[in-house]
Amino acid sequence: MYIMPKSQARALAAALAEDYDLHGPVLREESGEPMFDRVEDPAAIRLEAAIPYNPPKSVVFPQAERIMSYRYDREAKTVSLERDDLVRPKALVGLRACDLNGLLCLDRFYLGQEYVDEFYRDHRKKMFIVVNNCVRPFPQCFCVCTDSGPAAREGYDVALTGDGDDYLFEAGSEKGQALARRLGLKEAGPGAAGRKAKIIDASIARFDAEATENKAWISRVMNRITTGFISNDIWEFIGDQCFECGACSFVCPTCSCFNIEDINSREGRTDRMRSWDSCSYEGYTRMAGEHNPRRPVEDRRNKRFFCKLSYSQSRKYLRPGCVGCGRCNRVCPGDIGIANVVTYIRREITKAGAK
Amino acid sequence: MSGANAGAIVTVPETAVIDEIRDEIEDVRTFYFSFENPEAARAFRARSGQFVMCTVYGAGEFAVSLPFSPEDDRPHLSVRQVGKVTRALHELRPGDKIGLRGPFGNGFPFESIKGKNVIYVAGGIGLIPLRSSIVHVLQHRQDFGRIILIYGSKSSQELMYRDMIEKWKATEGFETYFTIDRPEPGWTGPVGFVHTLVAPAKVPVENTVAFVCGPPLMFNSVIKELLAAGIKDEAIMSTLERHMKCGIGKCQHCAIGRTLVCTDGPVYTYKQIKTLGEQI
Repeated sequence: MYIMPKSQARALAAALAEDYDLHGPVLREESGEPMFDRVEDPAAIRLEAAIPYNPPKSVVFPQAERIMSYRYDREAKTVSLERDDLVRPKALVGLRACDLNGLLCLDRFYLGQEYVDEFYRDHRKKMFIVVNNCVRPFPQCFCVCTDSGPAAREGYDVALTGDGDDYLFEAGSEKGQALARRLGLKEAGPGAAGRKAKIIDASIARFDAEATENKAWISRVMNRITTGFISNDIWEFIGDQCFECGACSFVCPTCSCFNIEDINSREGRTDRMRSWDSCSYEGYTRMAGEHNPRRPVEDRRNKRFFCKLSYSQSRKYLRPGCVGCGRCNRVCPGDIGIANVVTYIRREITKAGAK
Repeated sequence: MSGANAGAIVTVPETAVIDEIRDEIEDVRTFYFSFENPEAARAFRARSGQFVMCTVYGAGEFAVSLPFSPEDDRPHLSVRQVGKVTRALHELRPGDKIGLRGPFGNGFPFESIKGKNVIYVAGGIGLIPLRSSIVHVLQHRQDFGRIILIYGSKSSQELMYRDMIEKWKATEGFETYFTIDRPEPGWTGPVGFVHTLVAPAKVPVENTVAFVCGPPLMFNSVIKELLAAGIKDEAIMSTLERHMKCGIGKCQHCAIGRTLVCTDGPVYTYKQIKTLGEQI
């Protein structure tokens, strides 16, 4: 472990900017809102900013992305296909632990199983990750309930933990070690690991008093959903509050569904685009000929909660598909962000227990 | 990668030339194709029950079950025009080109059904995905017991692959039962929905597997009849269809419960289907 004065954070970002496209938390000029975005100027990165409104998902899984283009000349009967291969190395500086865990969920899904998602893989390789451990929670947070924070345990090149005027700088990879040497950081000495543990413990201890917007004690709920304990009534109650706006899916660090469309340009080229999609949309499963196997509203609306809290991540990877960032609760106009859904279900469990 | 999908064309389609187009029934055509690239042609080893993603250049891509079996001499697709992309496909003529990705999916489990009686129950174009299996089973006639095809459609004009079925009938012990939904002049066979033929066909129960494919309503009533006849849940198989975009288990449009039709299916037993918790 190394010590890095907080004043050196800009130098860290600048060093990475030489080899990578830089991404990190920034404050919007007009409103001061924290966003996770591409930055040209390393000084724009604000490590102290609150958790950004958007997750870093779009860095590896852009909202709309061309995955191929082709020209078909019907007269000459020729096809020329072209695969986009313009992926540049990226550095993510100032990622929170929840969002890093979101990326790891996406990794498991896109890079695992029978097929690898080649487009995701191309974004993900050649990436440098600097995680910024949370020394205190934000009001919306519940990462302690989803085992994804406040400190990252894996998947980073560098982990920073704020310690007064300094950061404790941990290298998680060879690349991270090289950066420490390049920045000329000094070793933190033998007591540093214990100091970090204390800082993180103190952060956890603050959740009760400071992370007051959401509570989502997820593990028991996951068990009950997976074993079919939750009655249809409660799913209907939850489903009835859904506006089908898709906002939850778009701000979620782990939601990965996409659509693919071929878009014709005036120049005669066709772009095969993939773009974010949401399982809460009615047309999501509709087939040609209008047959829609997922027609009942509760089928459709609750798919997402099953996905997060039962099958997708948990049955395969033994963790929830939720990382406790609280963004879905913040954007949902129907009060059915994951934390609230968990609360509704816990209420049912409690009622059933009282009977 | 291993198993059923080894060697699949995954991301960028391979271009194939349409060699011949045959009208099957109204709105359904069969497209015989060959790959431009001989490598792709060699690598393309579809198993019965799998599907492909077919690109109609300039229009988009759709998922479609493969009707042909490795025993057939030419690869082909049979497609009903039912949406934007399939309509564009129907506008193509021999010599035009399409793109193909795949084959994807699990395919029918032929090894485990050796020595059994095989019942096919198809409704309308539900015969398309079953065709490959029928071809395979008839080619290996000695490996199976009774082979029964129960097939129904709206009218006699909408029975698929009729010429082919006539040829198959020459195979010893291939029993066929046809029905159409409403009476029509010249039709002397049974009239009524396809499930009404299950009981008259006196299907064997012991050591029997049933393949069922057709529209959702037909599927549900046929399953009832088969169960009533005594066929077990796990001996009934179907290929499910879903809206698909990627074919490789990533876009999630075909998710049913925790399974994905594109990689866990499209072939499921009724025992599995019952636990999926969605409509067919």
